[in-house]
Amino acid sequence: MRRTMFKLLSAVVLLAVLLAGCNGGAAEKSESTGSAQELVYATAKDINDMNPHLYPGSMPAQGMVYESLVEHTKEGIKPLLAESWDISEDGKEYTFRLRRDVTFHDGEPFNAEAVKKNIEAVQSNAGKHSWIKLSTKLLSCDIVDDYTVKLVLSEAYYPTLVELSMTRPYVFISPKDFINGGTKDGVNGYNGTGPYKLTEHKIDQYAVFEANENYWGGAPKLKKVISKVLPAGETTLLALQKGEINFVFTDDRGTDSIDVEAINKLAASGKYQIIRSEPMNTKMIVANSSRTDSPVHDTAVREAIWYSIDRDTISKQIFDGTEKPANTLFSSNVNYANVELKQRDYDLNAAAARLEEAGWILEKGSELRTKGEAQLTLKLYYDVNSSSQKTQAEFIQSALKKIGVQLQLLGEEAASIANRRSTGDYDLLFNQTWGLAYDPQSTIAGFTSEASYYHTTSGIAQAEELYKKIDQVMVSADEATRKSLYAEILTLVHDEAVFIPITNGNITVVAPTSLQGISFKQTQFELPFEQMHY
Amino acid sequence: MNLIKNMWKDKLAALSLTVIAAIVLAGVFAPWLAPHDPHEVDMELRYAAPSWAYLLGNDHLGRCIMSRLIYGIRPSVLWVLAALAASVGFGGILGLIAGYFRGITDACLMRVCDVMLSFPGYVMSLAIVGILGPGLENMMIAFVLAKWAWFARMIRTSVMQYAESDYVKFSKAIGVSDTRIIMKQIVPVALPDIAVVSSSSFASMILQISGFSFLGLGVQAPHAEWGMMLNEARSVMFSRPELMLAPGLAIVIVVMAVNFLSDALQAALDPKLLRSKPQPQRQEFSRTAKLRGEEVA
Repeated sequence: MRRTMFKLLSAVVLLAVLLAGCNGGAAEKSESTGSAQELVYATAKDINDMNPHLYPGSMPAQGMVYESLVEHTKEGIKPLLAESWDISEDGKEYTFRLRRDVTFHDGEPFNAEAVKKNIEAVQSNAGKHSWIKLSTKLLSCDIVDDYTVKLVLSEAYYPTLVELSMTRPYVFISPKDFINGGTKDGVNGYNGTGPYKLTEHKIDQYAVFEANENYWGGAPKLKKVISKVLPAGETTLLALQKGEINFVFTDDRGTDSIDVEAINKLAASGKYQIIRSEPMNTKMIVANSSRTDSPVHDTAVREAIWYSIDRDTISKQIFDGTEKPANTLFSSNVNYANVELKQRDYDLNAAAARLEEAGWILEKGSELRTKGEAQLTLKLYYDVNSSSQKTQAEFIQSALKKIGVQLQLLGEEAASIANRRSTGDYDLLFNQTWGLAYDPQSTIAGFTSEASYYHTTSGIAQAEELYKKIDQVMVSADEATRKSLYAEILTLVHDEAVFIPITNGNITVVAPTSLQGISFKQTQFELPFEQMHY
Repeated sequence: MNLIKNMWKDKLAALSLTVIAAIVLAGVFAPWLAPHDPHEVDMELRYAAPSWAYLLGNDHLGRCIMSRLIYGIRPSVLWVLAALAASVGFGGILGLIAGYFRGITDACLMRVCDVMLSFPGYVMSLAIVGILGPGLENMMIAFVLAKWAWFARMIRTSVMQYAESDYVKFSKAIGVSDTRIIMKQIVPVALPDIAVVSSSSFASMILQISGFSFLGLGVQAPHAEWGMMLNEARSVMFSRPELMLAPGLAIVIVVMAVNFLSDALQAALDPKLLRSKPQPQRQEFSRTAKLRGEEVA
């Protein structure tokens, strides 16, 4: 008996020592970071291929290394690599005068020739860029003189400057990095013109970005930015607590994997601050109207789902008030989106009435509505890495169950969901609009693109009309026509209820309290690291 | 009868048996036992602390954790039992055939088993779930497909000993049909071995199914399952660690009870252990039983 007691005791002591050892290690580590002008952020995915003319790369990382001709700011389009520009009368020619003091990270000069080569490299792979309509309208890029280029379009296209300002693909990489005179087969270096350069990359571990001392806008104060790959959620939170990383932000996939309450607790300790941007996008459920063999093809069903979402409770309980309820695809502060639309508040009776009207009958004693042979069952796909999406899905599921609609929930990886969106293999899935810089024009252009929302919109009654209007609005030169066309487009998709909004999402940053100058860009995909300092 | 009497003498086994019986019964009669509807969402009660109405508190959707725990017995324990029965049944039949007939039948069946066993069990089940898609039924199919070979192999070995015995030879000599010999003379003696083998892998299967549901591959929301409840609690493990307790403890208790029971079963069934019952020897056997359990994983 005594011997077993002794064994037990020694086991407990051993365990205690082991645990203490773990803790000690953590304490040591926490002192190592946070010092100097360094920032370590967590990302769920590796930065991947940094080729700016293709899409696998991490956008926040590309945003640090590459720059575009112009910048999209709150006050509109501002100069970046181009100092100034002229647009011809007919809107078909854009002449850009470039900055003369810019060099690529490898020392190559940034001039008209580099611009031409880059734009041609993008255009030679136009199929990949069909979502950005400029790629289908750009005829040529001509060198006027060493520091002046002219873009010639096939027709006037008003979002040209906005699309040139995007994180990709119209950004510039040193022509020396081209393979076979282009970029579509890959590049052999990642020399951009941006404030940071990629100096080290260990796949699926980390990537180091160091300040570009010769940056034309002045060397950034933050000397080093490290992107560290960590599984989202608790691992990230623990790493933050230990000091292994010191910066977290809502990553470009928009999954909010860290529990709001846990972050608040962390901030209460005084070591970290939480900064939230203004609403950037709309989180929504996308309905596949083109799937004719599913109830989701029926407008009444989509409307009923819209009526069954208690957005106030989602905003208050699930997001702890950090995200506001959204009632329209774009919030009214988005350009052209201030349109009077029918409000559909949470109202289960209205939802049931709408279904009843459309012939979806709830038989006595049955739990599920039917219409002829068809049962009212829908599949909703959510990102498994997002705990908030799952909670919302379950919440909506329980509401729909009350009115006789069965919602099956299926959690999948983000890539698989993106694939479903482009192949049309879904009833409903969680998604979000692309953010202030892209809304409404790019998101709306995405209605016609297979890779984006073609399957969502193509099943509605007036699809032809919708697509015609989208084509018109993109090339219309007159502001008033544009406004009325956008209003018509938004009313159409709103009435058809193919985009069911839930909340307005924002970017959340968790950073050390001593870090200053944290601001946001007009896109959810980038952060201006160069403005931050301790 | 003797068996139960023997086991009842062992305090630990008796306790385990009671616990398992109680849990199984609770699972079967869940609709009458659960205080609330396990799917009833009430956001006002999100993360509410335990109260008299909700004995274990409420989860992230304000659902009653107690009720979910009780309903969770069905997939976590009862369905595992069903999957176990299916794979033991399937593997057992093949094992009996292979062990009894030997020769070419045996060779063919065992080579198929070799192929199945050369894949790691977890990877195999994961791959099958990956192909069929997540869901309880598919996971059950994956389990049966991944496990039958191991049971077939184990049961064949035990059948072989008896198939060589004199009384079987005599039966053959007087022209008793093969089916009859298998049913009357082989199955009864092989049954204890089968019981031990399957009970020891029961625990590991419970853990696996909880593991798969934890990963989101098994039971789909909103149905309650212990592994999934753990996963739901995981996202708030730093702000509300207490949520992990209920499903975690439930899994630990069931798996422990099953393990103790399977040890006791082995001791009770083995005539050698029955006659002289010194404690140390039993412990040794329990170790081998556990090893087997791991092998099957």
